[in-house]
Amino acid sequence: MKITKQARRDARQLFRSCMANGVLDENRVRQAVQLVIQDKPRGYLGLLNQFHRLVKLEIARRTARIESATALSPEFQSQVQTELTQKYGTGLSFLFVQNPALLGGLRIQVGGDVYNGSVQGRLAALQENF
Amino acid sequence: MSTLLQDIEAQISGIKTGVTKQNVGTVREIGDGVAKIEGLSDAMLNEMLDFGNGIIGLALNLEETEVGAIVLGDYTSISEGQEVRTTGKLLQVPVGKALLGRVVNALGQPLDGKGPITTETFYPVEKIAPGIIKRKSVSQPVQTGIMAVDAMIPIGRGQRELIIGDRSTGKTTIGVDTIISQARLNRAAEEAKNTEYRPLYCIYVAIGQKQSNVARVVAVLEEAGAMPYTIIVSASASDSATNQYLAPFSGCAMGEWFMDNAMDALIIYDDLSKHAVAYRQVSLVLKRPSGREAYPGDVFYLHSRLLERSARVGEKYGNGSLTGLPIIETQAGDVSAYIPTNVISITDGQIYLETDLFYQGIRPAISVGLSVSRVGSAAQIKAMKQVAGRVKLDLAQFRELAAFAQFGSDLDAKTQAQLERGKRIVEVFKQPQYNPMPVEVQAATLWTVQNGLMDDVPVDKIKDFQFKLSDYLSSRKTALMDKIRAEKALSDQLIADLKAAVTEFKQTYK
Repeated sequence: MKITKQARRDARQLFRSCMANGVLDENRVRQAVQLVIQDKPRGYLGLLNQFHRLVKLEIARRTARIESATALSPEFQSQVQTELTQKYGTGLSFLFVQNPALLGGLRIQVGGDVYNGSVQGRLAALQENF
Repeated sequence: MSTLLQDIEAQISGIKTGVTKQNVGTVREIGDGVAKIEGLSDAMLNEMLDFGNGIIGLALNLEETEVGAIVLGDYTSISEGQEVRTTGKLLQVPVGKALLGRVVNALGQPLDGKGPITTETFYPVEKIAPGIIKRKSVSQPVQTGIMAVDAMIPIGRGQRELIIGDRSTGKTTIGVDTIISQARLNRAAEEAKNTEYRPLYCIYVAIGQKQSNVARVVAVLEEAGAMPYTIIVSASASDSATNQYLAPFSGCAMGEWFMDNAMDALIIYDDLSKHAVAYRQVSLVLKRPSGREAYPGDVFYLHSRLLERSARVGEKYGNGSLTGLPIIETQAGDVSAYIPTNVISITDGQIYLETDLFYQGIRPAISVGLSVSRVGSAAQIKAMKQVAGRVKLDLAQFRELAAFAQFGSDLDAKTQAQLERGKRIVEVFKQPQYNPMPVEVQAATLWTVQNGLMDDVPVDKIKDFQFKLSDYLSSRKTALMDKIRAEKALSDQLIADLKAAVTEFKQTYK
């Protein structure tokens, strides 16, 4: 779908208006989408598509995906959450995933940053080194 | 066996056992050698990106939500959603003397099947040009071996001289002749164990050319024995636009190594018109705003930052030089088009080649009126200055008089003499391709024609006379030629000897 420059600009403006203290406000996002669907301004489908993309990227940026080979204890999970909040600020959503392929250790991804302390990651580094 | 174990142990101990931090993104769009990547929040401009499977990319567009990157290599194996990592490194190419005699691609990888290139030094492809403090004025000549150039449009080491002209007017030939001339001079200095002579290494960058053309240039250079002093960087027409865009910068990085290590190098960009076209393609696919003739707004900066890297640097900063000979192909002689005017304004002069002259048989087809060298005359040797000082003026007067002479036949003796002299000068400047001439022979020939010793030779015999005179001077009067080369000036004694030699030759000439 071709999204016009105007739709991109409007989507960006709408997206910015949904931010509160640097964090995306879910209620505002929902309200904004409803209002756009009600009013149906010119090129609203393109606007909504672009808005959806920006929200998706922001959610990905503010999501911490913590992968481990085995299930983590609740204490360890909260410790990881505290440390990540200290580093990236509030508003992070946490997703704990079990991935036996890691063999051991943790792999944490927050947005584009990947902290790989897994055995699989070390083995891959060893393989690259050879 | 124990060394094998030690090697493995050393490699294992070299690996960080802690947590590694990486910045990753995912491919959103891929096509035409350009990828759009989401994520990569830490990517730097011109940073190398790792697509996996040995494919690398170069981050060129850093946008609000994504990164536009050009893929160096086979982009067809990259798919949407694939992970991309930053590397923290800028694109770099191998440099050093190991590249001499080799044909490489834009990434410095060999294309000639002569095995891998072993060098430990790498230079970034994009580098800031030397600043004002580091630079030194141009004072040493580049002997192209082309008499018309060395006499009228002299080039100095560290200069940027544009070669401009329509298709098939002999632009590449001037470049190739210059390379052959340097190889001869380098070899002669090596054989004579002349440590004072600074060898000039050459880099020929072929951008968007037919592979057959590149192969022909390589064959000519090999035949002339010039390859040991030459590096060829090839990004032919079948290569991707990204490689064509990068090739001159890679070649320049290779040349800069010589400049930084107290050596002199010469780089020929053949040609920058095709380079601009390749850059336009990359920019359009990256959705950068287009300007005049659909070129992006920074096409001037593209060429200025490349050509500014040609310089002569002072003793403290490497004591070397990089001479640039960019080539521009014009369309129907239009020098006022966008790219030609850009490059003319960046360079320190231009050699303008005309189609009309070429088909009149005046080869090299250099248009004396439109060609200029802004800094090279400071680098010309005194002997050439003495004999060639008035040549450009004489030729210009000849062209003017020849135009008037077409309308009437009654001309006074002085005008007729000027016309006759002009015809002889034009003949003397004709030179076959791949046949550079030593500077002392050029000086002697020009002295002969300037002092009227060729006035009694018929115009159609001038080339024959010149060829035989050169042969005579090079074989029978080697001491005189050596003296001119060593003294670099025509003293009264040398002039007397030269006059005697030419008179002696004329007595035997039939």
